[in-house]
Amino acid sequence: MKRTTRTGVLALSTAAALLLTSCGFSDNGGGSADASGGTTTLNMLVPTYSDGTKGLWEGVIADFEAEHENIDVNLEVQSWENIEGVLKTKLQGGQAPDIYNGGAFAEFAAEGLLAPASDIASQETIDDFQTTFADAEKFEGTQFGLPLIASARALFYNKALMEEAGVDAVPTTWEELHDASKLISEKTKADGYGMPLGSEEAQGESLIWFAGNGGSFGDSQKISVNTPQNLEAAEFMKKMVDDGVTQNDPGATQRTPMLNTFVQGKLGFAYALPQTIGQIEDENPKLDYGVAAVPTKSGEPATLGVADRLMSFRNDGSKSAAVKEFMDYFFSADVYTDWVSTEGFLPTTKSGSEKMAGDETLTPFLDMLPNAVFYPTTNPAWNATDGAFKSLMGELGTGKSAQEVLESIQAKADAAS
Amino acid sequence: MSSVLPATNRARRTRRRGTDSQTFLSSLPWIGPALLLILAIVVFPAGYMIYNSTRKISSVGTDLESAGLENFVTIFQDPVLPRVLLNTVLWVVSVVVITVLLSLVLAQFLNKPFPGRTIVRMAVIVPWAASVVMTTTVFYYGLDPNYGIFNHFFVQLGLMDEGYGWTKNAVPAIAVSVVVAIFVSIPFTTYTLLAGLQAIPQETLEAARVDGAGRWKTYLLVIIPQLRSALAVSMLINIINVFNNLPILKVMTGSIPGNSADTLMTYIFKVLQFDRRLDLSSALSVVNFAIVLVIVAIYVKTVKPMQEI
Repeated sequence: MKRTTRTGVLALSTAAALLLTSCGFSDNGGGSADASGGTTTLNMLVPTYSDGTKGLWEGVIADFEAEHENIDVNLEVQSWENIEGVLKTKLQGGQAPDIYNGGAFAEFAAEGLLAPASDIASQETIDDFQTTFADAEKFEGTQFGLPLIASARALFYNKALMEEAGVDAVPTTWEELHDASKLISEKTKADGYGMPLGSEEAQGESLIWFAGNGGSFGDSQKISVNTPQNLEAAEFMKKMVDDGVTQNDPGATQRTPMLNTFVQGKLGFAYALPQTIGQIEDENPKLDYGVAAVPTKSGEPATLGVADRLMSFRNDGSKSAAVKEFMDYFFSADVYTDWVSTEGFLPTTKSGSEKMAGDETLTPFLDMLPNAVFYPTTNPAWNATDGAFKSLMGELGTGKSAQEVLESIQAKADAAS
Repeated sequence: MSSVLPATNRARRTRRRGTDSQTFLSSLPWIGPALLLILAIVVFPAGYMIYNSTRKISSVGTDLESAGLENFVTIFQDPVLPRVLLNTVLWVVSVVVITVLLSLVLAQFLNKPFPGRTIVRMAVIVPWAASVVMTTTVFYYGLDPNYGIFNHFFVQLGLMDEGYGWTKNAVPAIAVSVVVAIFVSIPFTTYTLLAGLQAIPQETLEAARVDGAGRWKTYLLVIIPQLRSALAVSMLINIINVFNNLPILKVMTGSIPGNSADTLMTYIFKVLQFDRRLDLSSALSVVNFAIVLVIVAIYVKTVKPMQEI
């Protein structure tokens, strides 16, 4: 009796020990393909661009699975705020997704976690991407990401408020934007300019302003935030805040609720996306507004361009054939343009651009793309820089000087590179 | 929260039968599952956290090399740490003290018989039954400068010209978080104290009355001393709960830039989320863990909550 108890205890503790070690310290486990029965399961992690994103992907996957019976795609959708945290947890647990839709990729590539583009898409698919976008997916000469979408920010202005305040022309320079916003703030019940420096958009809003003075966040080699051009732009942003021509508490304002106030007609100017046009059509079609190029210091056109990508974590490499099938299917002109146009983005493939050339709502944004400045996503320190902008840039609105804020962000970027 | 049961006579008798190790082995089948559970969900994660705090981990999450105590040096040199610790102390002290005082009053009130007492007692539980994140989110939207109902109310009353960003500035945001934290802590505290009140023998109160003690004297010298264990439990649990509280502060102060409104808990979260430093946030968590242990130790030593009256 006693003997069996002891054996039982021994067995239990051994089992527990094995369990604990396997879930904690293993390097290679997890994410493996269930090769039995010839079915491959692909785990896919994507963010939401709009309320329709989940349904859109589900449609693509259903059609894909109907054509490929031996591949199952497991879809997981997360908000932009959470997705990077979720990914990080998955990476640590050895559950890296086989298909991931994200912003930055260089730090993953630098650690050898990503499969090169040639492993996850056929040569025809890779050749179909526009060269500028494909080049932005390269880390040390190898392409890793497959550019999924492109987008640009433009100035949205409320015509009714401008008229009420006596502003005749759409601003094209910073000074004009400042004065027009001031008039709207003073003469109407609405706020003049919406500046979202909360964690959702701080990095985007900052780069729009920096680009307007010929600045940027740096390149694949070096993150340079604290530069004279950027400082001048940040000081002008601070001037906007201090002069009271923005909404209250810009440092704690998120983009989505702020754009809602624009849609409701309570904001004079805001930088917004192609999707905002669709949102206005749905929620307040009577809004009297226009879309124009982003005002800059000199009036020369410049804006923030965004490109997101699909990438594949290597795991044990057994699933790359299935990933390739999926990517080739998704980037075929019909499937891809349907997805991109429904989401309201600009296409990154040559075949897609030809198909979507006639879309008029996209014209102002397509025109701005050549002058767009992009995030330095090929720099491994970009993720940390992005985080620093999200958490620190808002301090511009809570009393810190532009110099101090840029220095603190630069310090975080330097610590990560 | 573990509770210590006094050894019963029977337990003492069994121990005398064999050596201690034998008794332990024969009791293992019964306590084994519980021990395993504690090992798996308490001891292992805590150990792993301590291990992580001594490693250098890349922002992607790859364990690179041993860092010794370097992570601790980094966090103690962090210029924002003093402000964060000060916020934490203010946050814990104000929430716990106000909660306990209000709960003492409420418990006393609920202990008196009056018509409709059951309904009032049920109503006190409501904040406890609702999810903390939900409750906080309701407050958060209520305080929104553009469409919040509280702001709307104040503007309508003429107290303010336009909505104020309560949750957009450090000081008011912490203040309203304190209010929410008190709101959600009161049910538990009140019920613990109410149970304590009901356990007070009527004879002691009668004796006090016979000896000529007034109401305040009876309360301070007879009731409060007998409430000591209930007070001890509710304060200890509240301190730990409030200290480790993330949901309320994350919702209420999450949009404030920089670290002026952070407590240790939200700071750990930001280091992980924005700086992507798993090693540093683990080191901060170890500090957090140590602080909780010290609080508990001081508390057990000075208040002696486990001692019987």
